[in-house]
Amino acid sequence: MSQRAGQLARVTAAVWRISLAEAIAYRVSMLMWVLTTTFPLVSLALWSGLAASGPVGDYARPDFVAYFVAAFLIRQFTASWVVWELSGQIRSGDLNTLLMRPMSPMLYHAIQNLAALPIRCALALPIGGVVLALAGGLAWPNPGSLAALALSLALAWLLNLGVHVSIGCLAFWVTESTALFEVWLGLYLVLSGAAVPTSLYPAGLAEVVRALPFHASLGFPVELAIGRATGAAVTHGLALQALWVAAFGALAAVLWRRGVRAYEGVGT
Amino acid sequence: MNAADLSEGTDAKGRGPRLLFYLRLVAAQLAMSTLTALQYRLGFWTEGLLGLLWSVIGIAPLFVAVDHLGAVEGWGRWELVVLTGCFTMLSGLFTALLQPALRASMTHILKGTLDYVLLRPADGLVLCLTCAFQPWHLVEVLGGLALVVAGLSLGEAEVTATGLLAGLVTGAAGLMALYAFGVLVLCASFRALQLQALTHVMEALMDFGRWPAQVFPPLLRLLFTFVIPLLVMTSYPAEALLGRLSWGTVAQLAAVSATLLVLARLAWVRSVRGYTSASS
Repeated sequence: MSQRAGQLARVTAAVWRISLAEAIAYRVSMLMWVLTTTFPLVSLALWSGLAASGPVGDYARPDFVAYFVAAFLIRQFTASWVVWELSGQIRSGDLNTLLMRPMSPMLYHAIQNLAALPIRCALALPIGGVVLALAGGLAWPNPGSLAALALSLALAWLLNLGVHVSIGCLAFWVTESTALFEVWLGLYLVLSGAAVPTSLYPAGLAEVVRALPFHASLGFPVELAIGRATGAAVTHGLALQALWVAAFGALAAVLWRRGVRAYEGVGT
Repeated sequence: MNAADLSEGTDAKGRGPRLLFYLRLVAAQLAMSTLTALQYRLGFWTEGLLGLLWSVIGIAPLFVAVDHLGAVEGWGRWELVVLTGCFTMLSGLFTALLQPALRASMTHILKGTLDYVLLRPADGLVLCLTCAFQPWHLVEVLGGLALVVAGLSLGEAEVTATGLLAGLVTGAAGLMALYAFGVLVLCASFRALQLQALTHVMEALMDFGRWPAQVFPPLLRLLFTFVIPLLVMTSYPAEALLGRLSWGTVAQLAAVSATLLVLARLAWVRSVRGYTSASS
C-alpha cells in the first residue's frame, strides 16, 4: 500500500515539474489569458467612476477599488481551464494517452492547473499592485480571517475544477460542451460578482443570487478578503461553498465514470 | 498581390465588373459556410440563442446601477436597452463574420497554408476575411435589432430621420473600425504565431462596449474611441439614434474609422510582403 502511495507521489511530482515547465514555456500566451480575465479591472474603472459623486449602496469609491482588485486576483488564484482541454481530448481521441498513464486523468488535470498557478500569480500580482498604487487603498484582512480566506480560496478552486470537469465530461455525449461552458461563463460574469458586487442587486434577488454556485466561486472569497464577511456570515459562506463543491464533485465523478465507459477512444 | 492583377475581374474593363466579381466571390464564400452550418442545426440553439442570451444578460449590472443612481450619466433604463441592443448587434456580427475568419486565417498563417489563399486570383485580404462564417450568430443581430426597437418605442424616444441616418452612419463606421482592428490583429499574428488568444482578448475587450461612453474616465474614453474604437461601435450609434449626437462628432468618428482602415490595409500589404511561407 505504502509502495503504491510512494509511486503516486513520484508520478504526481513528475507531472508537476512538466506542467510547470510548460507554463513557463508558454508564458506569453499565459499573459494573454491573464489579460482576458481583466474584466474585474474594467468594472473597477466603471464603478469607481459612478461612485465619484457619492456611494452606490454601501460601496463608496475606495470600497469598489478594494473589491475589484481582490476579485481580479482571486479569479487568477482559483482559475481552471480543464473544460477546454478535456473536451478537446475527448473529441480528438487524445484522452487515450492520458488513460494509459499510471494516474487518473482527473488528477493529471488538477495538477496541471495547480502547477500553472505560480506563473499566473507572478503575472497577475504586479497588475494588481499597479492598480492599487494608482487607485489607492486595500484593507488587508486581519490574520484571524486569513485562515478562513485560505480555506475559501481552496474551496473556490475545487468548485471551479468540479464545474469544469462536469461540463467537460459532457463532451463524451455531445460535441457542443464548450458552447455550454460559454453559457456558464456568461452567467458567471453577471452573477459571480465580477461585474458588480452581488450585494448591490435589489433585495430579494440578491439573496437568490448569493446562494448560487457563481457567488460561492468568486463573490464570497472576495468579500472575505476585503473584510465584508464577518462572524456568522463567514461560516455560512464557507458551508455554502463546501456544499457546492460536494455537489459538483459528485456530479463530475458520476459523469466521468459513465463517460469513460461510453468512450469509444476514437476521434470524431 | 500580383495574382490579383491577373484575375478575371481586372481583365474586364472598368471598376463595375471588378466590384461585381468580388460581390460574387463573397457571396459564394458565405454560401459555402452557410451550407456547412446548416448541417449542424443544433448550432441554432447552442450558438445563436445562447449567444443572444449572453449578450442580453450583460444588461444586469447596468440595471443595478440605474436602480441605485436613478440614471447612469444621463442614460435612463430604456436608453440603456437601446445601447444593449446596439452592443448585441455588433457582438453578433463579430462572432458571425469576423472572429471565425480571423481564427481560420491565423491557422492558415500558423500552418503555412496561407500560400494557397494568396495564390488564388483575387485579393488576399478579401479571401481571408470571408473564409469562414458562422451564420447562427446572426440570430444575435436580429435579437439586438429587436432590443433597439423595443427600447426606442417603450422609452417613447422620438427618432427623427436625421437621427436614424446618423445612427446608420455611425454604426457603419463602427463596423469598419471593428474590421480594421481585426485586420491589425491578423497582421500581428504574422509576427508572433501563438496569437490565437488575441481574438479572445478582443472578445473580452468588446464587453466594455456595453457601457455608455460617459461612464469611462477621460483617458479610457480616448483609448476606446481612437485606439480601440469600441465606443464608436456601440455607445455612439445608440446616442445618434436617440438624437444626441452632433453631425460634427459623426464626421469625426467616420474619419477615425477611415484612418484605421487605411492603416490596416497598409499593415496587411507590409505583412504579406514579409510573409515567408512556412509549408515548403
